[in-house]
Amino acid sequence: MLRSLTLATLLGAGLAVGGLAQAQDSADELRVGMSGGYFPFTFVRQDVLQGFEVDVMEAVAEVLDVEVNFVTANFSGLFGMLESGRIDTIANQITITEEREAKYLFTAPYVYDGAQVVTRRGNDEVSGVEDLRGKQVAVNLGSNYEQLLRELPFADEIDIRTYESNIEQDTALGRVDAFVMDRVSASQVIQETPLPLQLAGQPFSEIRNALPFRDDEAGREWRERVDAALATLREQGRLAEISERWFGTDITRP
Amino acid sequence: MAILDVGYMVELLPILLRYLPLTLQMAALGMVLALALACALAVVRVLRIPGLNGATLLFISFFRGTPLLVQLFLFYYGLPQIFSALTQINGITAAIMGLTLHFAAYMAESIRAAIVGVDRSQTEAALAIGMTRGQLMRRIVLPQATRVAVPTLMNYFIDMIKATSLAFTLGVTELMGATQKEAAGSFLYFEAFITVALLYWGIVELLAWLQRRLEARLNEAYQR
Repeated sequence: MLRSLTLATLLGAGLAVGGLAQAQDSADELRVGMSGGYFPFTFVRQDVLQGFEVDVMEAVAEVLDVEVNFVTANFSGLFGMLESGRIDTIANQITITEEREAKYLFTAPYVYDGAQVVTRRGNDEVSGVEDLRGKQVAVNLGSNYEQLLRELPFADEIDIRTYESNIEQDTALGRVDAFVMDRVSASQVIQETPLPLQLAGQPFSEIRNALPFRDDEAGREWRERVDAALATLREQGRLAEISERWFGTDITRP
Repeated sequence: MAILDVGYMVELLPILLRYLPLTLQMAALGMVLALALACALAVVRVLRIPGLNGATLLFISFFRGTPLLVQLFLFYYGLPQIFSALTQINGITAAIMGLTLHFAAYMAESIRAAIVGVDRSQTEAALAIGMTRGQLMRRIVLPQATRVAVPTLMNYFIDMIKATSLAFTLGVTELMGATQKEAAGSFLYFEAFITVALLYWGIVELLAWLQRRLEARLNEAYQR
């Protein structure tokens, strides 16, 4: 036991030291943070990270002729990683908000979408955002949907529940009355999964997603390069192509 | 109610097993470092070394008094904003650091208790027959203290293995992080999380078995 413990320790030490010498800021490697838990934008099947965001960022890297390195972490940790310089950007359907714009530099939007209320199938009490008065509504921690709900004139009457993950599951189980997510991924969840859910009414706010970068020298440079690459992909029709593949529709245009 | 998708669980298990070594490495390294630190802290406490004793009390108070998740976020996201060089520390290292400091605080107290639990009359007797302080510790106190401390230290090790599941918040894809991502891809939450729960449980049971054997060895001297 002692010997295997020593071995494990040595392995661990090697791992930790190897990690310490981790690649720093480099102009040849784009480090992209994502949750890996947001179907169909970023998710894992059979140990393979995939999704719309993965394809977009790989295409961006191809245009720029750089390496792309995906870093997955809980969503609530992603902005901390960006802030502390561990990643260069976040590709996780990040919505442009005033607060984020004040702090980060965004590329031009590459996804246009809307906020959508989703309920358990058969729940006809809620048919839109107005019906959320007096209801329990789940949103993801750190997402902007919580903000959107709080800006509603009747926000006081909504019982907003903030989740780390699995809001679809808790709505399907009936623990909360509804959840709010973007329309595109909500439709995908309903279509692709066995969870008993339905869209409740029309989207209630336009959402524009883009890639945020730190407002420092390296960040500004990356933003320019990535923005140019996205424009190229849009011109070549590749952005639309990737969208068609995942969503059957072009979500990259307003 | 949907039927349990056993086929998916069987498929998932080998994928999750790829992430088990990382989980175990973080826990093993964390345990070794925590144990070393805890011993040092316990010695300071037992001998009431002037100057260090106060610092040790403060250390234990802080790391026992704040949640591990808060400490991890503090090291990984908080400190680099103040000291930019700390950005070099990656998630795995930060997780091991957090586990080490957090569990050392707990373990120091249980080691201290085990040492002071050895009857004072034995110390007096050992000194009376001319043993040095070093001999007293090596031959009389520590062997007995070890036997008392092992069960609680194993408890902390088990807890530490499970605490590594927090590392995904620092971007470390260990067992739990891998499970969360696979669950997001399949939407088979129950299957994914029950699989990982059984996996953790199995590892802990294996350790408990090793603990029983170790305790039996340490108890040999006390058997009639």
